[in-house]
Amino acid sequence: MTAQSRGFLRDNSLSLAFGALFLLTLVGQALSGLADYNAQQVAQGLATVSLGDYVTSSTFGVDVMENWQSEYLQFFLFIYATVWLIQLGSTESKPVGEEGKESDEDQKLGRHTEPSSPVWAKVGGWRTALYSRSLGTLMGVLFLLTWAASAVAGWAAYNSEQLADREDPVSWLGYLGAADFWNRSFQNWQSEMLAVGSMAVFSVYLRQRGSAESKPVGESHAATGSSG
Amino acid sequence: MSSATARPLVLVIGGALVLLAAGCASAEQPQVERVATVFEDPSADASARCDLLLPTAREQLEQDEQSSCVEAINSLPLDGGDVTGIEVWGGDAQVRLGQDTVFLSKTPEGWRVAAAACTPRTERPYDCQLEAS
Repeated sequence: MTAQSRGFLRDNSLSLAFGALFLLTLVGQALSGLADYNAQQVAQGLATVSLGDYVTSSTFGVDVMENWQSEYLQFFLFIYATVWLIQLGSTESKPVGEEGKESDEDQKLGRHTEPSSPVWAKVGGWRTALYSRSLGTLMGVLFLLTWAASAVAGWAAYNSEQLADREDPVSWLGYLGAADFWNRSFQNWQSEMLAVGSMAVFSVYLRQRGSAESKPVGESHAATGSSG
Repeated sequence: MSSATARPLVLVIGGALVLLAAGCASAEQPQVERVATVFEDPSADASARCDLLLPTAREQLEQDEQSSCVEAINSLPLDGGDVTGIEVWGGDAQVRLGQDTVFLSKTPEGWRVAAAACTPRTERPYDCQLEAS
């Protein structure tokens, strides 16, 4: 359904609000991380660093990237899992019986496209095939790239700690086999799986009036895939 | 954001991290090497060598040897010889010499020796005769 535009800010308030919150919290992480890092440096009689040096350091880089990669992994898995898996009564699930990639009619493809359908949905061939998977693919690619960046920044931060502990630095491949890399990855992944799983279940029984993430308050627990 | 715009963005972020790490590390190497080689040169002025120690390392040395750094420094096996390898990661560095391994930390005054006369141990940190407390 296409609603009438009420101006750019109101039409995009959700993404703009979270974009602003993202920037504010990233700045908060940079400032608090810098204060923590410099406090440790001063305690050891070592050089403090500027904000610019800190935000380009491996310490800050791995802290940011290890969180980003787990968020994109969460969405990548959730997007693909919800094609095939359902949760009865959840707003995060399709209704029972609709598991799978669904028909062209359901997906408004082929002869079922509409004038307002995206161009790549109408043209057919590889472009429609790619567009049909574009959301999950983008999340998967972003996950791999941010996980790789996490592995590079984590490697640099790990080697700095190794030297401070009077131990030899390791190669990048050596770091990929190190407990530090997998501990950082798993501790972020498990929290994302918990968040997604609990949201899928909580939305069966609990309501938030007016939220797109909730069923209407009076909707039954068994109603699946509806939101109000 | 489309995949076409997102992919270069993340590549730039990842690439920038690598380049920053590599660029910063390579820029610091000459200073790290200079400090390590002067410190590991027994013919260099003892007072100048002591000035290259991290303050906490100097205090530990004077406490261990019950004498001033200038008097104590020549009692340690600090004749590393030629540099065979340098590793710089953030504010920490390691210089391998022919007969020694030296660890350095970056301070407001520049790179300073944090540990020297170090012997490698399997699966454990180096055993260093001179080390910051």
